[in-house]
Amino acid sequence: MAATAVRATEPTRRQPAAPAERGSPLTRGRRRLFWPFVVPALVLYVVFYVLPALATGWISLNKWAGAGPMEFAGLDNYRRLLLDPVFQDSFANTLTILFVVGGATFALSFLLTMILRDMAGRKAVRAIIFFPNIVSGIVLSILWGFLFQAEGVVNQALRAFGVDSPPNWLGTDNLFSVIMIGLVWVQTGFFTTILMAAVDRIPKDLYEVCDLEGANAWQRFRNVTLPLMWDVVGVCAVLWSISAIKIFEFIYAFAGAAGQLPPTKVWNTALYAYAEAFASGVPKYGSAAATGMVMLALVGVLVVLLRRLFRRDPVQF
Amino acid sequence: MATTRRFPGPSKLLGAPLAWLFALFSVAVAGWMLLTSLKSTRAIFAEPWSLPTSPQWDNYARAWTASDFAGATLNTVVLVVGTAVATIALSAPAAYALSRILTRWNSGITAFFALGLGIPAQVIILPLYVMMNELYLVDSLTGLWILYVATSMPFTVFFLTGFFGSLPRELEEAAALDGASANRTFWQIMLPLARSGIITAMILNIIQHWGETLFGLIFLQSEEKATLSLALLGFLQRMQYNGADWGGLFAGVCTVVLPVLACYIWLGRRIIEGMTLGSVK
Repeated sequence: MAATAVRATEPTRRQPAAPAERGSPLTRGRRRLFWPFVVPALVLYVVFYVLPALATGWISLNKWAGAGPMEFAGLDNYRRLLLDPVFQDSFANTLTILFVVGGATFALSFLLTMILRDMAGRKAVRAIIFFPNIVSGIVLSILWGFLFQAEGVVNQALRAFGVDSPPNWLGTDNLFSVIMIGLVWVQTGFFTTILMAAVDRIPKDLYEVCDLEGANAWQRFRNVTLPLMWDVVGVCAVLWSISAIKIFEFIYAFAGAAGQLPPTKVWNTALYAYAEAFASGVPKYGSAAATGMVMLALVGVLVVLLRRLFRRDPVQF
Repeated sequence: MATTRRFPGPSKLLGAPLAWLFALFSVAVAGWMLLTSLKSTRAIFAEPWSLPTSPQWDNYARAWTASDFAGATLNTVVLVVGTAVATIALSAPAAYALSRILTRWNSGITAFFALGLGIPAQVIILPLYVMMNELYLVDSLTGLWILYVATSMPFTVFFLTGFFGSLPRELEEAAALDGASANRTFWQIMLPLARSGIITAMILNIIQHWGETLFGLIFLQSEEKATLSLALLGFLQRMQYNGADWGGLFAGVCTVVLPVLACYIWLGRRIIEGMTLGSVK
């Protein structure tokens, strides 16, 4: 503390004390509480989060089936990953989800945000579109997959419009596209809600000036709305990066059965890591750990890049 | 709306129906999910949008007995409530300390917790499995409870730190003037004041774990210990061998979704704000 403590020649009782003063009885009492209050949560976090993450880094440098001795392998696990066609597909799918689903989700979210800004009933619409985000990924996957069954609602609708031979939506050629569209449906409500909250904070008079100047909708968005919500867009981009890389349940349930896996063509790195460790004949912990580290590195790189991309001088309004 | 404009522009005229269409799609999926859970398998495909002519309540009976959704529901409720209570008990004091007790460690530790938000489960699950196996906590609801509480720490500490930080400082100072110890200030004044944030954190925690699957899939192996998500996956598996029972499957789906929907209708604003407002501040 910057302030130097001066001991009073006589103890003073019940005298008001500046909270920041080092010698204040309140400050001393509270500071004594700091570690007892923080340590339980911190220990749990370190033991079950931080140390396991570090352990995974170590496991990724070894060949190991989860029991028995580890065999040091250096970067062999990573080299083998790079050469594995299934991992290549999984990584490509992860990036596709990140950028294609992310792009579609954000475009739709921006569109809905602008529409809902002035719309009657907007709170009801916002509440409805947000709901899929809190439902279990397994349930959403079952519902979504059922819509696209051979005799499902989508095909019945297409036949009603004259399409005699609808595509096999759940076949390996189309399944990943079906999954991506489903993910857009689930995620859009979440990001729309955040963007709406950001837009609501923009002063109305800026838009009134736009109207007086005859600005069209695109000009209002480009020159007023987007600049003033830029920081929140950056936060959304970070949130999307983190959650996109973690997606597991929605894809996993398309396998149709516990203990089995969906076709490898629709795997992302999260599914690949799970499969290597828990769903293949011989567990490959080293390979699964290396995949986990790749996922972690991807999150780290994206967050750093996004913070750099979205950094700019604060705007006062 | 600007008073200078008499009619909404074309983009607005076209936009509102699109927004409602998007919303109605979700409502339609939910409604159709309910209808389907009350139909026989034949009717589900023959008449996807019709009302059930005679509600098949035994779809629910079959789901609840054949895949033991009753047991799974009980497991899930106990696990989820236990997780929420323990998470708050550990996170609230930590969040209070990190936001209200000034030391040189505050911002470092808060950032340390925030780092956890970015770590995928796949990065920690292997060592956790080995650790829990050695402690005989694999295939144990207690073991899963510990993991749920631990993995809840980053978000909940981070969320409540922001919340405690927004409370007025004057009340703490008034308590100090009255001679309250720091410990008593927390329990009798700050904790009640934070009730709103704590309830929100509990709700978000409950919703997250109600449908959790990955940890359950890996750490629970016995059928009698299954949670709802695992019971649903088990039902899917049974359909591979016993023939499609879509009515029963959708009864299971409704068992998972309807409590969340009820909770959402009742507390929706709090849920939405809890999940999103931190991003805007």
